[in-house]
Amino acid sequence: MKPQSAFEREPARRVFASELRETRYQFKEGEDEKSPTYVLLPSGIRSNRIFIVGTLTEKQRKGDQNIFYNGRVVDPTGTFFIMAGSYQPEAMQQLARIEPPAFVAVVGKPNLYTTPDGTCLVSVRVESISVVDRDTRDLWVLDTARETLDRLEAFGTTDDSKKAQEEYGTQPDVYKKIVYDALAQVQL
Amino acid sequence: MNLSEVTERISRKLEANGAQPDRQKIESRLHRLVEEFGVNTAEAERTVTADLAREYNLTGVGSAGNTATELRPISEIAPGDWVTIEGKIVALTPALSPSIAQNGIIADSSAAIRFVTWTRANAPAMEYGHWYRIESAVVDEYKGTPNLKIHSGTTISRMEKDAPLLPSITPVAELKPGVGSVRAKVIQDWEVSHERMLQTGLLGDETGTIKFVIWKEDAKEKLDLDAVYNIFYATVDEYNGRLSLSLNTAMYISDEGDIEVGRHETEIQGALVHVAPGSGLIKRCPVEGCNRTLSRQNYCPVHEIQPNFRYDLRLKAVLDDGVRAHNVLMQREIVEKLAGITLEEAIGIAETNPLGMDEIFYRIRNAALGRYYTCSGSEFGGRLLVNSCTPVTFKPEELAALLNRAGGEAA
Repeated sequence: MKPQSAFEREPARRVFASELRETRYQFKEGEDEKSPTYVLLPSGIRSNRIFIVGTLTEKQRKGDQNIFYNGRVVDPTGTFFIMAGSYQPEAMQQLARIEPPAFVAVVGKPNLYTTPDGTCLVSVRVESISVVDRDTRDLWVLDTARETLDRLEAFGTTDDSKKAQEEYGTQPDVYKKIVYDALAQVQL
Repeated sequence: MNLSEVTERISRKLEANGAQPDRQKIESRLHRLVEEFGVNTAEAERTVTADLAREYNLTGVGSAGNTATELRPISEIAPGDWVTIEGKIVALTPALSPSIAQNGIIADSSAAIRFVTWTRANAPAMEYGHWYRIESAVVDEYKGTPNLKIHSGTTISRMEKDAPLLPSITPVAELKPGVGSVRAKVIQDWEVSHERMLQTGLLGDETGTIKFVIWKEDAKEKLDLDAVYNIFYATVDEYNGRLSLSLNTAMYISDEGDIEVGRHETEIQGALVHVAPGSGLIKRCPVEGCNRTLSRQNYCPVHEIQPNFRYDLRLKAVLDDGVRAHNVLMQREIVEKLAGITLEEAIGIAETNPLGMDEIFYRIRNAALGRYYTCSGSEFGGRLLVNSCTPVTFKPEELAALLNRAGGEAA
């Protein structure tokens, strides 16, 4: 690798809401404080960033001193919980401008939270959000279906997917069905 | 043992390696060791030989090998070798330093190599187009390319030979640092970035493209755009991992015919996930050949404050295919089409809108962010310079294929 390209931006994985909702395992690569944190997706890949397109159905402004927004983005399989706080002022202001319902494209970092009653929640910390059209949503469903199928077909052959097998006991057929159902909702 | 015998033996050994030692000096050193310091003759011989070899910068003297006198083809020599070659002077370039007497390129039928003759070597000047036998020269590496050094221990003799020499043409994609000959077409003629530069641009053949430079020099002519040339003995330099061709050592002859240039277009399809700062409406330095981006205060890192800047549009973004994030750079025409705004309109908006140039950044970002595009172009320093960018369209047959892949019957 050439020295000037030593930094490689983490790719944004494509994942459906119902798969992200099942995500429970989070880990850090390396000891450094700045090392990236990944979640392990049940279909067998680590992810430090995701790209989602769906319908923003709801958004709320929260907090007094530390203002943040959270919202719900719906895809054919379920709901993503997104949030943008004052640490991401650009993203927060972008989100503040968008009036639901709207098709949105979101780039963000998946994060795991455990609520006081012990349930594990996955939320997406928004890096950027923009209003898109229905065509982009449909393209995203196709793209996400393709990426998910690629992962499922390689399941068991990669280190990440072996780990996913251990952590989640993933049954690839279940996720294939999810992909099929998502595709079936795309209108021709 | 008689010291003059030893002296004779040492001087012959050194001469065989190309040095011209002073016999008196050898003898006086031997004397000093043997008579003043009581060293035995064999040890004195070894010491004096080694000392002088070091002084004349010779290696391998006294050891059994005498490879330096064996004639070798240029293609087989490597840095670190002591060599004897026979070749034709195919290029002479002006010396850049007073300690260099001559430099240029010498070639035989196997290959060509750059050479340098040190002023200290007191070697006879070689003439362009003639054949020479060069004995006991040393090969080292200069700027990552092999280079033949002619020093005081090197013997040069002119040969009466005049064999025609046809350099072998190398495909552009296979060029290595050193000397190379290509048959290529001039596909781009760039603005020169330096006053000493005569011409720069891009050459290409079926296998790829390479940047070329011609520095200003007497009798150097420019290449014509879109013409095909046979370029013999150009210098291949490497900088930051990229190769470029310097034509000042080269002889170029225009050639009939055309070349279908392999452009090595890279195509990436993905979602535009990030619009980087420095996108949108920017100001560029108006100084000829500079073109740098100015700061908001119109400051050019080289030419300082430039109030007569010119505006430009560009988009620096990340196109992400889900597996890798690719940096892409789009120029004005592409951005105008993608964002549906012309440069003139953008300037008009920026000059009347309270947000100024930021307004254009936001407009372009809102138009492009989160959308799917197919970009093709050439990769340069880890960034795709986009030649064309089209939005991805929805194809029902892809949906059908994916439904099949996901296993229709399972539903």
